Amino acid sequence: MTYFFQLVVSGIVVGSIYALSALGFVLIYKSSKVLNIAHGQIIAVGAFITYALTVWMGIPIFLSLILSMGATFFLAMSVERIFLRRLIGEPIISVIMVTIGLMSILDGLVYLTPFGTENFSFPVFLPSTPIDLGGVYISWTQLMGVIITIVMISGFSWFFKKSTVGISMRAVSDDQLASMSIGISVPKVFGLAWATAGLSAAAAGTIIGNITGLNFDTLHAFGIVVFPVVILGGLDSILGAVVAGVIMGLIQQFAAGYLDGNWGLNGTAEVLPYIILLIILLIKPHGLFGIHEIERV
Amino acid sequence: MKKSKLNLMTVFIAAALMVFISCGTKEAEKVEVATTATEAKTYKLALSLAITGPTSDAGNPYAKGVEDYFKFVNEMNILGEDKIECTIRDDQYKNDVTKRNFEEFIAEGLDFYLNYSTGSTLALKKDFEEEKMPTIPASFHAGNLIESNYIFLPIASYSAQAIGLAEYVVNNHSGSTPKVAMFIHPSAFGRGPVSDVEKAIAAGLDMELIEVVEHGKDLDNTAMLQRLLNKGVQYVISQTVQSPVATMLKDASRLDLVAKTFGENGKITFLGCHYTGGNDLIALAGPAAENFFWTTSYIITSEPGVGTDAQLALAKRYGRDDKAAQSHNYANGVMVAQVATECILRAKARGKAVNKESLYQELLEMNGINAFYPVTTVGPVTYSATDKAGVDTLQLYAVKNGAFKSVGTPFIPIYTGKI
Repeated sequence: MTYFFQLVVSGIVVGSIYALSALGFVLIYKSSKVLNIAHGQIIAVGAFITYALTVWMGIPIFLSLILSMGATFFLAMSVERIFLRRLIGEPIISVIMVTIGLMSILDGLVYLTPFGTENFSFPVFLPSTPIDLGGVYISWTQLMGVIITIVMISGFSWFFKKSTVGISMRAVSDDQLASMSIGISVPKVFGLAWATAGLSAAAAGTIIGNITGLNFDTLHAFGIVVFPVVILGGLDSILGAVVAGVIMGLIQQFAAGYLDGNWGLNGTAEVLPYIILLIILLIKPHGLFGIHEIERV
Repeated sequence: MKKSKLNLMTVFIAAALMVFISCGTKEAEKVEVATTATEAKTYKLALSLAITGPTSDAGNPYAKGVEDYFKFVNEMNILGEDKIECTIRDDQYKNDVTKRNFEEFIAEGLDFYLNYSTGSTLALKKDFEEEKMPTIPASFHAGNLIESNYIFLPIASYSAQAIGLAEYVVNNHSGSTPKVAMFIHPSAFGRGPVSDVEKAIAAGLDMELIEVVEHGKDLDNTAMLQRLLNKGVQYVISQTVQSPVATMLKDASRLDLVAKTFGENGKITFLGCHYTGGNDLIALAGPAAENFFWTTSYIITSEPGVGTDAQLALAKRYGRDDKAAQSHNYANGVMVAQVATECILRAKARGKAVNKESLYQELLEMNGINAFYPVTTVGPVTYSATDKAGVDTLQLYAVKNGAFKSVGTPFIPIYTGKI
């Protein structure tokens, strides 16, 4: 039974980090209907900024994380301002192609720094002895990841439901023309959506970097790894990202714990999330919590 | 006797290399002035590899090693008035780009080729055959050599490395038959050694291969590690790159599963082949890398000696940062450049025209008394028509107090000859 609970805890930890990583996709899509393919690169950049501030400038890691979130906030906002604002009203495929180009540009820029081709790890700042919950272990790094995820997701949920700006962002997502007619600045909302996605990316990158070490390929790959989570939860649902993240985390851990290595099976933890994704999408094409828009003609 | 002769030769060559490096640019200038009167030849070599993109943490220092050694050869006039022109291109780990690069190299004239990844080496195998191009990749995949005449691995294959680690496990395990799992990259690069380890077991290597785990981009390996422990696995041999190994080691450390001494009862001892280890693993895993066992044929700078002194001096001469200078993949790059240079030197010494045919022939004859001792490796480079893996000797290292240290003396796996 301890084994089962260990898998549950690990699944929730991994799922939380998936949810936080997926949040960036959701925040942008929710407001602008744009899928940012370069999100993995922003996750990596966030992690590198935190590392540079912590190790090279000697700033305490929690302060570095906040500064890094600020940096990616402005980075993502600038990206939207420079590359994407001109594309408002253009076909969505054009915008997605720009984000693919953006991915290459960010790759190239990172490769100009030591982070592109070297490996680093954050200094140990939490106790190395894990927390023992009756034989179920969770590391302080993982616990910190879960706490940061909960705080950020709660914050964003409140922001979208209660704040004027958040409600404006939802309005823009719903109908850009109607939003403009009541005085909402659509370009500003788009910029803010990208900026908040940048904020979450830095947090996700720093947590992942603490777990895996800082390797550019590993970090930016999480932009793709969390894709099933985004689709499963529904592209425009924060709650969906959380639920889907935890589902995926649990599926992976249970598959690795109970299926892999038995009956000649191997790698089910990698494949099963995609199989479940396909099945759920057959039943709910907009994901678990995605909004199904009905157009009257 | 053989060993002392080998050591003497190694010291001699290293000393010569050191003298060359320490003599510096002034000497090079002098020699160039003195030899401008004679006709100089230029030999065209090329290298396509991942300087950026996936695995560039290995490719980047590798490229620097190749570049620096050829610069050194040219500056020191090691080939007399002749020069090496080595074109190095980034392929970002994309096979189609490697192929395009190779075709362009061929069009421009090529005498010797250095390739990089397992994927591109397998993909271009037929091209190397058609062009009859002697090729040394950075991939040590044994499958590169199947139905190939022109590919030469620099060191023992991943299969030989995994078998070497398995032999070490069998020889140093106390108790009943050791239970081993393999943790591999989900590709030809990772899968290659599995069947060879199985063949070694079938040939009498007394160990039980409990499971082969093909890893993904895992954030948490708890389930996998607990599963292996429940199955009684005592040793995990990894054949992949550093990042997934680092994550696994961190998880194992958190779960208190890492053996503090080799084969500690109730714990898991982690071991790995060339690309799992080195300073990059320590950089990624931090303290969790402690007691990780790693094998390669290269010397490492945490075990100083004449070869590492020469390596560091070369890196310093060309202004490389400390990370590149200390990298075993820098030594890897230097070594393949040394082999190519040695072939040219030998072809010239025999009065042959230096081209792909003569260089290929020199590679085939690099054995016996003609074996090459580059000092960047723990044993000699030997090739023949039937042996296309350069350095057969391996050295086991283990992380102690944050640095890789030698464990025992260099060895050659026995079961590679039995399978």
